[in-house]
Amino acid sequence: MTETLQNLYLGFSVALTPNILMYAFVGCVIGTLVGVLPGVGPLAGISLLLPVSFGLNATSAIVLLAGIYYGAMYGGSTTSILMRIPGEAASVMTCIDGYAMTRNGRAGPALAIAAVGSYIAGTISVVALMFLAPPLASFALRFGPPEYFTLLLLGLLALAYMSGGSMLKALAMAVLGLLFGMIGIDPMTGFSRFSFGLVELGDGLGVVPVAVGLFGLSEILLTAGQPTAPAVTKPRLRELLPSREEWHDSVWPIGRGTVLGFLIGIIPGSAHIISSFVSYALERRISKHPERFGQGAIEGVAGPESANNSATSGAFVPMLALGVPSGPIPAVMMAAMMVHGISPGPLLISQQPELFWGFIASMYVGNVVLLILNLPLVGLFVNLLRVPYPLLHPGILMFCVLGVYAVNGSVVDVGIMTLMGALGYLLRKFDFETAPVVLGLVLAPMMEMSFRQSLSMSSGSYSIFITRPIALTLLTVGLALLLSSVISFGMRKADWRRRLGFAGAKD
Amino acid sequence: MTTIPNARYIYARAAAFILVILLCGSVTHSYAQEKYPNRPITIVAPFPPGGVADLTARPVAAAMEKVLKNPVVVVNKTGAAGAVGMASVANSKPDGYNLLMALSSISIIPEADKLFDRKPAYTMDQLIPIALISADPTIFVVSADRPWKSVKEFVDDAKKRPGQISYSSSGVYGTLHMAMEMLSHAGGISLKHVPYSGAGPALTAILGGHVDTLASGPAVVIPHIKSGKLRPLAGWGAKRVEALPNVPTFKELGYDIEFYIWAGLFAPRGTPEPVMKSIRDSVRQAVNTPEFKAAMEKLQTPVAYLDAPEFRKFWDKDAKMLANAIKRVGKVEIPEAK
Repeated sequence: MTETLQNLYLGFSVALTPNILMYAFVGCVIGTLVGVLPGVGPLAGISLLLPVSFGLNATSAIVLLAGIYYGAMYGGSTTSILMRIPGEAASVMTCIDGYAMTRNGRAGPALAIAAVGSYIAGTISVVALMFLAPPLASFALRFGPPEYFTLLLLGLLALAYMSGGSMLKALAMAVLGLLFGMIGIDPMTGFSRFSFGLVELGDGLGVVPVAVGLFGLSEILLTAGQPTAPAVTKPRLRELLPSREEWHDSVWPIGRGTVLGFLIGIIPGSAHIISSFVSYALERRISKHPERFGQGAIEGVAGPESANNSATSGAFVPMLALGVPSGPIPAVMMAAMMVHGISPGPLLISQQPELFWGFIASMYVGNVVLLILNLPLVGLFVNLLRVPYPLLHPGILMFCVLGVYAVNGSVVDVGIMTLMGALGYLLRKFDFETAPVVLGLVLAPMMEMSFRQSLSMSSGSYSIFITRPIALTLLTVGLALLLSSVISFGMRKADWRRRLGFAGAKD
Repeated sequence: MTTIPNARYIYARAAAFILVILLCGSVTHSYAQEKYPNRPITIVAPFPPGGVADLTARPVAAAMEKVLKNPVVVVNKTGAAGAVGMASVANSKPDGYNLLMALSSISIIPEADKLFDRKPAYTMDQLIPIALISADPTIFVVSADRPWKSVKEFVDDAKKRPGQISYSSSGVYGTLHMAMEMLSHAGGISLKHVPYSGAGPALTAILGGHVDTLASGPAVVIPHIKSGKLRPLAGWGAKRVEALPNVPTFKELGYDIEFYIWAGLFAPRGTPEPVMKSIRDSVRQAVNTPEFKAAMEKLQTPVAYLDAPEFRKFWDKDAKMLANAIKRVGKVEIPEAK
């Protein structure tokens, strides 16, 4: 303990030198800008700036890149809340209640809670990273394909809590998403599926173009289709901060989101994407007023936003402790270390204490910087809503096209976004919710890959899912959840029928 | 605080912003008249960041940038085992602004397309070689808690239980898959293949103990050999790897196989000769800069520079060998679920 504190002191003495402090600040600013652009996520930002970091020393480079990474996670919530455009897959869930809050004139509190939640989650998860990295990392590596598959299966159960309306419609949408996820090259045999000769479809539909289309474009189309333009909201200054009640409602979701996000984040692979989905489902499951979700429940912003930020730090655990590229972003960070001749690995902490502890300390500093940076910006961003729709919406449209194109430089992606915008408009006209489509699309490729890898490992025997302890535990938890829902479903049958009738009668 | 001036302020700012963008646009336009290069050059790395193509492309780009005094940007265009990125360059405008940092798998994908009887994403004659940058022999490693101490022990055990010992790879028909296929063929053994989506995840799999063996580049495995998690048994090179002097080559052990994960720079066919000359010159100068050499040393990847004509010969030979390996693998059969 004293040793850790001494090390942390060393870390802060590195992180607070003006030079490093400046790189942390620059990283946070760039990250926030990257995050605000629709479609451009942390990975694109970090990849674009990696070469810039070659000229710096190793510590500055890592601090700069980490700043961009968590800055982008902060910034991603802004467009989700204000315009219903998810900056990346992790902020899809923020769109639902965040945007509903905006429509209720509570955009300021939603943005403020997102920033504060991210700050708390970021700080707590760095503490966890500092103390728990080595033991957690070895545990995380035990997540092989069978464990991964069962975890994703749990993620699929989150579906049940994603829609306020008809369960049948939600499931139909999830199946649509899963089907979309089948597009692309078969990962086990190399066979092309549903790609219609387009090489770009070989990799499947990107989550970002689909999410921006289904959420953002459909919203713009729906607004345009209204007979009278909705009144421009004029937020007042004192409405920028959350009320006492909203603070109170957010405390526990932030706490739960932090723990959940961190645990999911440490697992190698892309599971961190589902952290915000799972957090949203969890909040809705335990809420006393689940009917408020979708109508602007602040818990639906606080939980997922905290979860995706602490998943960010979680993702560094295997990278720092074991030198494993545990996901696309840690892989870029590792590349940044390797070009400086530092091989991240079990020996990193002892061989490069200044780099390791400087990095940890800079994450504390970075989170403070982001909070200071983002809270005043809330006022500025909210004022964007004063712009009348005929000017605002074409502008948003332009930024969507730019952002989605910029990530892969692919016109096909822009086409996908446009088609999905039209599809989202139709679906929402018929009162289908679009979030389950995105969840299905996120889960399908990961589930397929891990399922088939598992069966490859076991030479085709399904027993692999029950003979491995972690996988068995996860399966049992899933089964228990499913049973408990079925039971309460049966007991509240009358209530459910009434709700279904209500959902049908809404339009 | 009144609302009207505030809104006006925002409009004024927005107008100024648009004006600046328009001005920027006109400036770049006037540049377009000058000679090559006058705008950023893109090197597509068709694999995720942190992989071999990416790690090689970045120092090359940085060194070329200094030589050409022009931005050179690396873009990761991943997907379909690299086919997306490679096809995007193969089908791009041959003006010298779209280059490709490809690995050995560039020769695999068209063969795999032939196998499935589908319209190829690109053909090899759509791309012309610029220079070979590095050629690293793959290293055969096993998880340190597995019993095999030598290739002989491993092959003997694999013969006893065919299809039971597993390996991870960067993807089906990917380079790491092919290296293991050559070993299986030469050793007369059958192994269990678990494909992952890239060399990084394949490494994570063996470190987590989910597969038994892996073939991967020295830069990827050496840190984990040093830390004692992985044990190297042999290398695919003609010579031993400098950083692993005690690890024999398969040739020394009597297996006639040689395989390199090479990284080379390509341009789309039809790139004008003066532009090609300019690129080749800049790459030649780039690989000789002390910065580039130092960068590659840090990555523990020796430079194996070959200019276009020699690289062409090297590529033709390598492609033939890989085509044979693909034909041997054929269509992948999935074991029946039970």
